[in-house]
Amino acid sequence: MTINPDLPFVLISNCIPVKGAKRSAICDLTRSEIRLIPNDLYDILDLHEGKRVGEIKESYQNKHDAIIDEYFDFLVREEFILFTETPELFPKMDLQYHEPSDITNAILDISEYSSFDPIKVLKDLNEIGCKHVEIRFFRSTNVDELQPIVSMLNDIQASIISIDFIVPQSPGFCKENVIELLLQYPRIASFKIYNASTNEFIPPVDKQRGYIIYSDTILKDQRCCGVIDPSLFSVNIKTFTESLKYNSCLHRKVSIDHLGNIKNCPSMSKAFGNIKVDNTEEIISSTEFQQVWLVNKDSITTCKDCEFRYVCTDCRAYLENPEDLYSKPLKCGYDPYTNTWEPWANNPLKDKAKAYYNML
Amino acid sequence: MVLLVSETNDITTNEVVAWLNAYGATYQRINNDAYARLHRVALSNTKCNIQVAGIDPSCLKKVWHRRGSLRFLPEPLRNVTNLYPYLKKEEDSILKSIEDILRGQHDYVGSYHKEIENYKIDHLINAKEADLRIPDTLITTSKKELIRFFNHHEGIITKDIRYGIKLHLEDGKLFSSGTFVVTQEMIDTMDTDFGPTLIQEKIEKEYEIRIFFFKNRLYPMAILSQNDTKTAVDYRNYNREKPNRNIPVLLPGEIKEKVLQFIELSELSTGSIDIIVSKKGEYVFLEVNPQGQLDWVSKNCNYYIEKDIAEYLIAN
Ligand code: SF4
Ligand code: SF4
Repeated sequence: MTINPDLPFVLISNCIPVKGAKRSAICDLTRSEIRLIPNDLYDILDLHEGKRVGEIKESYQNKHDAIIDEYFDFLVREEFILFTETPELFPKMDLQYHEPSDITNAILDISEYSSFDPIKVLKDLNEIGCKHVEIRFFRSTNVDELQPIVSMLNDIQASIISIDFIVPQSPGFCKENVIELLLQYPRIASFKIYNASTNEFIPPVDKQRGYIIYSDTILKDQRCCGVIDPSLFSVNIKTFTESLKYNSCLHRKVSIDHLGNIKNCPSMSKAFGNIKVDNTEEIISSTEFQQVWLVNKDSITTCKDCEFRYVCTDCRAYLENPEDLYSKPLKCGYDPYTNTWEPWANNPLKDKAKAYYNML
Repeated sequence: MVLLVSETNDITTNEVVAWLNAYGATYQRINNDAYARLHRVALSNTKCNIQVAGIDPSCLKKVWHRRGSLRFLPEPLRNVTNLYPYLKKEEDSILKSIEDILRGQHDYVGSYHKEIENYKIDHLINAKEADLRIPDTLITTSKKELIRFFNHHEGIITKDIRYGIKLHLEDGKLFSSGTFVVTQEMIDTMDTDFGPTLIQEKIEKEYEIRIFFFKNRLYPMAILSQNDTKTAVDYRNYNREKPNRNIPVLLPGEIKEKVLQFIELSELSTGSIDIIVSKKGEYVFLEVNPQGQLDWVSKNCNYYIEKDIAEYLIAN
């Protein structure tokens, strides 16, 4: 396709431009890609959708024809726009977000101090309709311990559709064993082994089962979490629409820390109860528990000016300013005012917060 | 109570069920991968009484027949190779009667009949009746007729009259290639007489529209594939590298009326309609699939059709 000067253009409605402080991003929500564009192009899309290219050029007194042609060549190449005689028949996509389950995802931490039964916790989570569970071991474990956990989910035909394991290396977690486990249990979406001697990524076994990561990162406890990285961006309609309103990490999440405390996130200090004595379902329905769900990117300092804000993850446990719930995630190295990425830990301005969280 | 008939792994049914649970609805789901006991279809001059899979139909409010059908043949009988096709026909016959009886008593959406009796020609006639434009169509067994049709049109295509072929042969699998363009070279290789074959004029398209409908509610999605030769004939010949753009679209008011009229004439309560918007701006009806996929329409357009269906099923 080429630019059609005779017809008005419309934006493909599931490719959504998001304006940042210094540049914008087009979030291609069905191809799961992000394309960065200048804010000038954002403004053209915003102000002139539904017009012909010639009319747009005229509205800038034909002073910028070459640039406008370049912009439209790009839009055409990426298939972000459509030239049509009937622009009125291509509405904006409804950005509604709905979710039938009160809780969609959970984190369960297990350390040498844990004294609860993970199988019972999983059954409870299943009861409340949870779909994804991440189980993190901060002590050694083995296949014989993990197998019954997943096997139970099969037996009860659980609503939990995916399990991610994060475990420390141990001799039993050689490739053959892990692959076998993944082949046996399609519910396992990923298996990450830290403290390993190598760094290796093994793509989805059989193309449709979980993937495996061996990493030489040393993990001691929950302080590993909360890193913001483009590789974790999730460019799809569900995340985008959810992020418009809700927190991109904690919305509809419940966490059970290694002592059995029921929290929004294992790294946060506030505990709302303990699974040994309290009713999880009651706790998660309380407005108090759900308060942090409403901290969306538009209300977070710096993030609100970032072009990645509706595809980015978030972190409310480790903040640049630990005293301010609306502060930017500590472990983000991106500056939307200069468009530069730097390793977050190198930034001296973050030392105070690192000291606060005992990360120095 | 709501009754759902489906398959165990059907994503759409699972999602509707998640909504039914969220709304606290009572429902029963029967999947077609297990035997369902047919307790009785009991007829007398004074009554007609049905009980299937432990369900008493008088408790039912609505039925959603999403996919598949009930399975009244106990497992061992399904494995008797020679007898099975016969028993299957017997089973089909009673399935149809039960569906008709329930349809008369309840709000019954979806249909096993309509799915297995998906006659493309009947649908084309209904579309024509509803004043929708349809492609010139010929079904023939004669090469002479085929050549005449070919010479009359700028391009012609062919597709299955009812089902695509799916055969497992000793030396591999045989699948129908869906819709494809018929060329002079192909015709040259053909015999004077052949099996009944459906041929249609090829419509140059601007884009395609897939309309999922549930009762009177239409969910149209535009499939923009016209710039890509790989998908230029039929979007179902999927283009893997660069997926098509699938986006929400509106139907002009008058076309919407005609589509609703078609749905009424065809007596379908749900399904998917394929329409081409031609280069000239005409809306050309291609076909309807009575148990159409709605997942990708719902997800690409953010329509939440599954939620709407659940709400429909529990509404009074
Ligand atoms: S809030 Fe931060 S630490 Fe907690 S789960 Fe989310 S990313 Fe991890
Ligand atoms: S500033 Fe960092 S954390 Fe905030 S939205 Fe941008 S990339 Fe994400």
